[in-house]
Amino acid sequence: MAELPEKLGLLKKYAKKVYEIKVSRIVAEVEVGDIPRIVEELIKSLGKESLYLTTLVATDLPEQGIIRLDYFLSVLPEKKVVVLRAAVPREDPRAPSLLNILPGVFSAECEVYDLMGVVFEGNPHLRRGFFVPVEVAEKGIHPLKKDVKV
Amino acid sequence: MARTKIVEVPMALEIPVGPQHPALHEPLLIKLYVEGEVVTKVEVNTGYNHRGIEKLCERNNFYRNIFLCGRVCGICNTVHANCYVRAVEAILDVDPPPRAKYLRVLAMELERVHSHMLINAVMAEVLGYDTLFMTIMRDREAVMKAKEIVTGARVLADYMMVGGVRRDIDEVKKDRLLKLLDKIEERVRYYRKVFEDDPTIFKRLVDVGRLSPADIVSHSLVGPVARGSDVGTDVRFEDPHEAYPEIPVMKLIKRDEGDSWARMMVRWDEALVSIEASRYVLQHLPQGNAVPDERKLPRRFPPGEAFTRAEAPRGELTYYVLSDGKPTPYRVKIRTPSFNNIINGAFAFVGACIADVPAILVSFDPCISCMERVVVVDPETGSKRKLSLRELATRGVSR
Amino acid sequence: MVHSFLREVLRNLIRRPATIEYPKKETPVEPDFRGRHYPDLTKCIGCSLCALECPSNVITMKPIPKELADAAPPANRRRIYPSIRYFGCIFCYRCVTVCPVRAYVVSNEYRLASDKPLFSDELSLSTLRRRKGVGAQ
Repeated sequence: MAELPEKLGLLKKYAKKVYEIKVSRIVAEVEVGDIPRIVEELIKSLGKESLYLTTLVATDLPEQGIIRLDYFLSVLPEKKVVVLRAAVPREDPRAPSLLNILPGVFSAECEVYDLMGVVFEGNPHLRRGFFVPVEVAEKGIHPLKKDVKV
Repeated sequence: MARTKIVEVPMALEIPVGPQHPALHEPLLIKLYVEGEVVTKVEVNTGYNHRGIEKLCERNNFYRNIFLCGRVCGICNTVHANCYVRAVEAILDVDPPPRAKYLRVLAMELERVHSHMLINAVMAEVLGYDTLFMTIMRDREAVMKAKEIVTGARVLADYMMVGGVRRDIDEVKKDRLLKLLDKIEERVRYYRKVFEDDPTIFKRLVDVGRLSPADIVSHSLVGPVARGSDVGTDVRFEDPHEAYPEIPVMKLIKRDEGDSWARMMVRWDEALVSIEASRYVLQHLPQGNAVPDERKLPRRFPPGEAFTRAEAPRGELTYYVLSDGKPTPYRVKIRTPSFNNIINGAFAFVGACIADVPAILVSFDPCISCMERVVVVDPETGSKRKLSLRELATRGVSR
Repeated sequence: MVHSFLREVLRNLIRRPATIEYPKKETPVEPDFRGRHYPDLTKCIGCSLCALECPSNVITMKPIPKELADAAPPANRRRIYPSIRYFGCIFCYRCVTVCPVRAYVVSNEYRLASDKPLFSDELSLSTLRRRKGVGAQ
C-alpha cells in the first residue's frame, strides 16, 4: 500500500486499493461511476489550472471479463501523475463521460470508443470512423479488442 | 452511427482546409464554417493516415517494437524510441550507464533543434515568406549533418536500445560536432532576431489565436502551446529522466503573451537552450561503455507495467507498456502530443479570420502522422473518402 | 527589420548556391552512414537470428547452391544463408548487431535506386566464390 500525497488525500474515501507502478506513479483503484465526482473534487481543491488528463488507456482483459480503464491525471503543482484505475464489464462497456468537467478528455474518449468499444455516456460526439477506416468500422468491430483479427 | 448533416445558419459558408492542401504537410481535414471572414464553427476530421501501430506492437517482440515505435513520427523519432525504451527498461529494472544517458540526451536535443527550425520555417512558408523558409532549411542541413555524425542517419536515427545506445562517439566526432554547434547557434540567434523584429511576422502572428492558461490546462494542450501561455509544464523538469537533472544549463522557457508569436518564440528560445545543452553534454561526457551487446539482452520479460513520459519537440509524449511474461507486450499505448493539440485545440479557431487559420494551426505544430497510429493492418485502406460531420466548437468554451 | 533581412538576401545572391549538383558532384556522406550491408557467408552459421529479428521481415533464408556449399563454414549445418530484399529494408542494422558471429559487412553505399528489385544474394555468394578461388561473377 503506497501513501497518497497530502493534497490527494480525498482519494482515500473512494480508493479500494492504492499502490505504485513504474515509474513512481500512484494508482488508486476506484469504481468507474465515482470518477466524475473524484475529478470534480480534485479540481475544486487544487484549482482549475492544476489538473489535466494526460492519457486514457483501455486494456482488454478477456480472462477477467473486463476492460480496464486507466485515467492518468497529471497534477501540475505536485509534478506527479496519479492513476485512477477502473474496470467495466466486457459485455456492456459503459462509463460516465468527463467531457463537461475536463473538455480535454474529448480526444481520448473518442479514440477509446472507436477502438475498444467503451461507450462514454454524456459524450454526444462519439462516432465510429473517427480513427478507424470506414471499411473496418462498417463491419462493426472494435479493432483493439483481443479477439479481433485485422 | 453517422450523424446527419445539420442545417446551418443561412449566411454561413463551409470551407474545407485539406486533406490535400499546400499549407498542410500531412492530410487532415478541418472544416470551417465562416460568416464573412470570421470563423464560427470548426470540425476536425482525422483518419487519413492510419497505420495500425498499437495492434502491430502486440505481435512483435519487445526489441522489434523499438524500431516500430521509432517510426511513428519522422521528426520526433528519437524521443518516441527513447520513451519506449525507458518503459521497457523500467519493466526489466535495467539502468543504462551514465555515458549512454548523456548520449541519449545529445540525440534528443539535436532533434529538438531541427524540429523547431522546421516548424518555424513552415510558419514562414505559410505566411508567404518563402525566402525565410528556404534560408532556415538551408541552415537546418547542418543539424542533419550533426545527427548523421552521432547516429548514422539523417532523419530516422535508430539510436536507442535497451541498456544504452547503439553507437558511440570518439574525439574526432566530438570536435566536428562542437564546430557544427557553433555554426548552428549563430544562425539560430539570427533567425530568432528576425522573428522578433520583422514587421511581416509581427503583423501576422501577434494577437492571433490567444489562449488563456485555464483553457489550455482544461483542454489538455501540451508543449510549447502551453508554455506560450504561461503554463510552466515541461516533462524534462517534472519527470527527471536520463541526464537532464545533471545539466545545469537547462531552463524552462515560458512566455505569457499567449498568442501565436509567443509560441514560435518559445520554440526559438528552446532551440537555443538545446544547443547549449548539447555543448555541455559533449564537453562533460563521462567515460565508460555506452553500447550494450545486443546479443546478450534478456529474452524473458517479467510481467509488469510502466508508464513513461518524454518531452517531444511538440509536447508531452506518453507511453504505457504492459507485459504479461511473454516475449511480446500485451498492450502498448502511445499518446502523442499532436493528438491532444490538434483534436482538442479546434476551439482556438473560433473567432479568427480565415487567413489566421493556417497561422494558428502551424503554431500548434501539427504532426499528423504522430496523431494517428492505432489499429488496422489492412494495406488497402490508406485513405478515407467518406466524411461525416461532427460538432466540435459548440462545446462550452470559456472565453 | 526589413533592411536587415534584405542584407541576408543580397548576401545569398553572391554566395554559391547551396544545392549539390548530384550526380555531377558527390554528396558528402559519413563513412559510418548506415548503407548497404550484406552477410559474409564465410562466417555465417545459418542461425537465422537476423531473419527472426528483422523488424520489416525482409530477410529470407535460402539454401546455398550445391557447388558453393563446401566453402561455407562447417558450423552452418543446414547450409542456408540470409538474403536481404533491399527494397523493403529500413537499414536499422538490427541484423548487423544481433549476429552472433558478426558476419555482416557494412558500407555507406546509399545509391540503391534501381528499376529491378535488389537483393543481397550476389554479394553474399561472391564471398564464397572468392574463397573457392572461382572468379567473382
